[in-house]
Amino acid sequence: MDAALSRNGRLLLRALFVLVVVFLYAPIVILLIFSFNNSQIPSFPLSGFTLHWYHEFLRNTDLRAAIQTSAIVAALSSIGAVALGVVASIALARRRFRGQAVVSALLLAPLVVPFVVFGISLLLLFHTIGIPRSILTVVIGHIVISLPYTILVLVPRLAQLDASLEEAAYDLGAGRLRTFRSVTFPLIFPAIVSAFLIAFTTSFDEYAVASFVVGTRETFPIYLYSALRFPSQLPQVIAVAVVVLMISLLVVVGAELGRRAAERRLGEIEPT
Amino acid sequence: MTAAISLEAVVKRYGGAAAVNEVTLSIGEGEFFSLLGPSGCGKTTTLRMIAGFVAPDAGRVLLQGTDVTNTPPNRRNVNMVFQQYALFPHMSVYDNIAFGLSVKRVPRDERDPRILEMLKVVSLEGMEKRRPGQLSGGQQQRVALARALVNRPAALLLDEPLGALDVKLRKQMQLELKRIQHELGTTFVYVTHDQEEALAMSDRIAVMNGGLVEHVGSPREVYERPSTAFVADFIGSLNAFDVIAAELVGGYAVAQLDRGGRVVVRIADGVAKGAQLRVAVRPERVHVVEPGSEEHGSVVSGTVVDTVYLGMYTQVHADTQLGRIVCHAENPPRPNSSVTLAWDADDAYVVG
Repeated sequence: MDAALSRNGRLLLRALFVLVVVFLYAPIVILLIFSFNNSQIPSFPLSGFTLHWYHEFLRNTDLRAAIQTSAIVAALSSIGAVALGVVASIALARRRFRGQAVVSALLLAPLVVPFVVFGISLLLLFHTIGIPRSILTVVIGHIVISLPYTILVLVPRLAQLDASLEEAAYDLGAGRLRTFRSVTFPLIFPAIVSAFLIAFTTSFDEYAVASFVVGTRETFPIYLYSALRFPSQLPQVIAVAVVVLMISLLVVVGAELGRRAAERRLGEIEPT
Repeated sequence: MTAAISLEAVVKRYGGAAAVNEVTLSIGEGEFFSLLGPSGCGKTTTLRMIAGFVAPDAGRVLLQGTDVTNTPPNRRNVNMVFQQYALFPHMSVYDNIAFGLSVKRVPRDERDPRILEMLKVVSLEGMEKRRPGQLSGGQQQRVALARALVNRPAALLLDEPLGALDVKLRKQMQLELKRIQHELGTTFVYVTHDQEEALAMSDRIAVMNGGLVEHVGSPREVYERPSTAFVADFIGSLNAFDVIAAELVGGYAVAQLDRGGRVVVRIADGVAKGAQLRVAVRPERVHVVEPGSEEHGSVVSGTVVDTVYLGMYTQVHADTQLGRIVCHAENPPRPNSSVTLAWDADDAYVVG
C-alpha cells in the first residue's frame, strides 16, 4: 500500500492526519487548561492555577439540577430506546413480513431528518394533542432520535447470532419469552450495552430537539447554552465540561472493557 | 401398534414450488429411520415439519397417534440435534443438557441423576463444567445428543449431525449413534445426503427426490432392488442401459446382442415380448471372465478404456455395445485390451 504512494503523497497524508488530530484534541486540551486558569477571561497568558471554578460549579444548584435532569432524561430515553430497539431488531433480523423494508426505513428515518425540523414538528404535535412540555416530552423526543442508533447496533449482532440457537431452545420446550431471557438476551447483551451507551450519550448532549420541547426543567446542554450569555459563568461552564468529558470517557472505556470481556466469554463459540 | 411418527400426505410449498409434495411416511417405534436425498430434495423440510418448525400447507403430522399438526415445537415431545449443534455458548455442558428439564420444571433432585446418566451414555463424564467452546467437534456433537435425549423424547430428529466432522470421526460417531440408539431404544429420524451413512446406520431409508419419497425400504432393499432409476443411481454407482426383450423365458427376458453376448433380466408379469427395458446392474456385480467360460446370465464383450486403482479393488471402465460399463476386478486387464464381462441374471434388474 505504501508503495503506491509517492513521497509527496505520504507527506500530504501525514500532514492531514496531524491536522485532524489537532482539530479533534486541541480544543479539549485548551478546555482542560482554562478550567484551571485563575481568570474570568479565557485567554493567554495564563494568570495562575486555581480550583475555584470547580468549587463554583459544585455550589451552583441550577447547574447541578440541569445535569441531574439530563441524567434522568438520558437514562429514561436510553432505556426506552433500547427496549424498543431490541423488539424492532428482532422483528427486522428474525422475521420475514410484508413491508419489512418500509418498516426498516421508517425506523431509521430520524437519522436523516434534521433535528431542528424534528424538534419543531414534535413541538407542534405535542401542542396539537395537548401534552404540556416537560421532562417527559424531552424523553419521547430523545427515544425517537436514538432508536435508529440502537437498531443499527443490534441488528448486525442478531444477524450474526445463529438462529438455530433460538430454535434449539424452542425445541427443548422454552416459549418465546423464556427463549429470549435464557438465550437471545445473554448472547446479545454486549450489543445491548453498546446500544444503551450510544443512546445515553445521544440524549445527554442533545440540544436542538430538547430546546423545542423542554419544559421548565432545563437539560444540561440547554443550561450551558444559556449560561454562555453571561461571561462570568464561562469559567465554571468550562470546568463542568471537563468533568462531563472525564466521566463520559470513564464510562465509555469501562463499558468497552466490559463488552470485550463478555465477547471473549461468548466468542469461543460463535460459528462464523 | 401405533407408529412413533406418521406423516399423512404432508405438503409444503415455498413460492409456487412444492418443497415437500404429499409425503406419507410411517416410522415405527424404536426405529432408526433415515431421510436420504440430494440437497433440495425436501428431507430437511420434512424433518422440520416433524419438529414443528415448518407448518405443512396440507396433510397431518401424528406423534404416537396424536395429531400435532398445529402444535408448536416447544409442546411436541420430539427433540432435535441441529446441523451445527446449536449449543448455548454461554452455558456449561451441564446447563446445556439441563435446559430442557429446567424449562419443564423437572425437580432438581430428579434432574441431576438424569443428566449424569446421560453424560455417561454419551461418554462425557467429567466434562459438565466445560463450555461448548472448549470442546472438540465430536464432543460438542455428544453434548447436543445428550441435551436432546435427556428429555426422553418420543423421537430424536437429527439434521445431518455428522456433516461438520472429518471422515474418521464421522465413522466413529456413526457407530456411537447406533450404540446409543440401541441402548435407549429411542426412535431416530436421521437426515443425510450421504448414502453410505444411511446404509450403515438405518433400519429403514426413505430416499427423497424433488419433494417426493421415491422409495422406502431397508438398506438392502433400497440398494439391491431400488424402485426407480433415481434411487438406483443415487445409492451407489450403477450401470444402466436399454435392451429389447427379444425372448421371454420363465420370468426372465433375454436380449441377444448383435455382436455376440446377451442380457438376461428378471421381469415383472405383463412385460410383452419386444418391449424396451431399462436394465441396471451394480459395478461390483459385474465380473471380468474368460471368453467362453460364462454359463448363464448376461455377457457382453468390450474394450477396456481405463482402470482406476482404489485399494481394495480396481475399477475397470469398458466400452461395450451396451455403452460404458463399469465393473470391479481384482486382477485388472490392461487398457485397450479386449474383455468379456458377465453378471448373474438375478444381479440385474429392470428400473422404472
